Amino acid sequence: MTTAYRLWEIIARSKTGPHMEEDDFLPKLFTPTLKKLIKKYEIQYDSATPVPADDAMADRIWQAGWELFRKVGVYNTDSHRIINVSDDEIKEALYIAKDRYWVGAGKDAVLWKHRQVEDSEPPFCILSPDITVDEHLHHSMCAAYLKEPLLNGFCAPILEDSIGQLIESGGPTEINGCVQHIYNMRLAAKQLGRPGTFFVAVGTAEHDSGQIAVSDNDWGVRTTDSRLVGSLTEFKTADTLLNRSVHYAQYGCFTGNLTGPIYGGWCGGSEGVAVTLVAYSIKGLLIHGAIYNQHFPFHLNWGSNTTRELLWPIAMAGQAMARNSKLLYTSNGFANAGPMTEMLFYETACHALVSTVCGWHLWEMASTRNKYRNRATPLEARLGVEVGHAVANMGMSREQANETALKLLAKYEDQAADAPIGKEYQECYDVAKALPIPEHYDMYRRVKDDIAAMGVEFPF
Amino acid sequence: MSLEQLDKLVENGEQQESEALAQKMLDEGVDPVQILTTLTATMERVGDQFAKLEIFLPEVMLAGETLQAVVEIVRPKLASDNQMVLKGKVVLGVVKGDLHEIGKNIVKLMLETSGFEVRDLGYDVDSLDFIKAAEEMAADFIGASSLMTTTMPRQQEIIEFLKDKGLRDKYKVVIGGAPCTKGWADKIGADLYCEDANSASKMMAALIEK
Repeated sequence: MTTAYRLWEIIARSKTGPHMEEDDFLPKLFTPTLKKLIKKYEIQYDSATPVPADDAMADRIWQAGWELFRKVGVYNTDSHRIINVSDDEIKEALYIAKDRYWVGAGKDAVLWKHRQVEDSEPPFCILSPDITVDEHLHHSMCAAYLKEPLLNGFCAPILEDSIGQLIESGGPTEINGCVQHIYNMRLAAKQLGRPGTFFVAVGTAEHDSGQIAVSDNDWGVRTTDSRLVGSLTEFKTADTLLNRSVHYAQYGCFTGNLTGPIYGGWCGGSEGVAVTLVAYSIKGLLIHGAIYNQHFPFHLNWGSNTTRELLWPIAMAGQAMARNSKLLYTSNGFANAGPMTEMLFYETACHALVSTVCGWHLWEMASTRNKYRNRATPLEARLGVEVGHAVANMGMSREQANETALKLLAKYEDQAADAPIGKEYQECYDVAKALPIPEHYDMYRRVKDDIAAMGVEFPF
Repeated sequence: MSLEQLDKLVENGEQQESEALAQKMLDEGVDPVQILTTLTATMERVGDQFAKLEIFLPEVMLAGETLQAVVEIVRPKLASDNQMVLKGKVVLGVVKGDLHEIGKNIVKLMLETSGFEVRDLGYDVDSLDFIKAAEEMAADFIGASSLMTTTMPRQQEIIEFLKDKGLRDKYKVVIGGAPCTKGWADKIGADLYCEDANSASKMMAALIEK
């Protein structure tokens, strides 16, 4: 926790900050402020260039994000007050923020470092299906992801049932599900000889009680692991979320700030999403003491971020943060298509390419709009992180990335609205062995070869 | 001053100007039914633009609020036999344990601007409170939104409570939210699943006409 000594000063502002009606916060404060800043800083989306190489605009987006957070603050829906911070506090927090952390344990510990735009250092790769999964498939899916060679961190699928009972948020079944979730992760990691792998866990916990129940350095979420704290609709928090921040800090694990600015929502369009991503990153540092930010901007209608109106803000926010801070931040892909479709492979590759070149670390890959149970596999994530390593090793420029992204977009963009949902995990993988079936592997190989022909030099 | 100007002002969310123009038009003898007919078409157009994300949530919210302000001015001028047709009464909320409300708020706006009366219970709403509110307002629909897989069972709980109380046939239960599907709606015995806000008002109007 980089700002631990200010933990209680920040929390106290939930009770002492300015009062506002909740219904007024977004329409009367957040959105008007954001609109003014987009105009003031002359931020302009260009659909023809999903990966702009515009340092000056990246810096303006950084300034706009900073100003947005400072002017708007964070609304606590329980206290109906706004937590505000000052410019000096932002400067202080950014100054003392570390640019690298050792995460994970023992031989599996990994150094996670800040990246620059067009950095030749490969991204830190967290693999996650993000979706929910049948109880009987959970351990297999954990094992399948943990078999991925380029995995640096792992976030497991979410359980909907535990011991045959539906999990209900905030109730006893959730605690049971959370225990099962982390045990499956630990078991799979031990079996595969990666017992110290860095985990982000547990996604089954929607409520603070579920998270707190699994903090244990022996069998549970360790202090060498990470947990996430989210936001409600843009820049709103609640005591149940702040409870997590406090617990994570006091337990001593790595806090990640989870945010999903919505394209078409209160952020407006691509410009607003870019500015909000930056603002959220500063918010994560100051309000939650997050050592990294986990961002999944998404399209209001589709729930995805692989089309150009979302790639542009990902590209620009990444550059803004890379150039102006030491922060760590992951780009979480959300695809339209489902597993074992060529479209999903191309979407993942494009998301990973754009993100990596623009300074992000990778979090791949939610598929099928993160909506359907069992519809994700490690193989699309594998291609994504392989693309990330490839373009980093190449030192790919933003101009080259833009050119390649346009080629990749041409493969799927016109199908975004009606993307195929593909197949479920157990149809794409041998569940017992946690390995892809030949048909699935062949499709991955075919798409990888096609992307290589576009000029992406894979190391293997 | 024309209906076209009012249409544009409402579309742009210019509330004060819209109210002033509507009042002036009424004073000059413009038929209030004509005004409402025009503005219904305005909101349909705004809704269609929003569905394609040609405009964004803040703009559609502003247009909706402006429309509602104008309706309040026009309503008293309507002859009793020309009152707006109420399409139905809806109790709407996000289920217990779930604090996400953007989708519910969009649905509320779309319903209100298309002729439904909505009682918004907010978020993190206990299943029994949906039913109590429906009884109080003599609702036609109970609309329950869930944005998380682990709060979806609360949608089922509402239906189970309705059965336990012998009220299941009294209300049409409508569900929605990102992780919900038609399959889930069928599984729990909901009357309707709405994939997005724009379709909700049309599908609910069609259901009540059956």
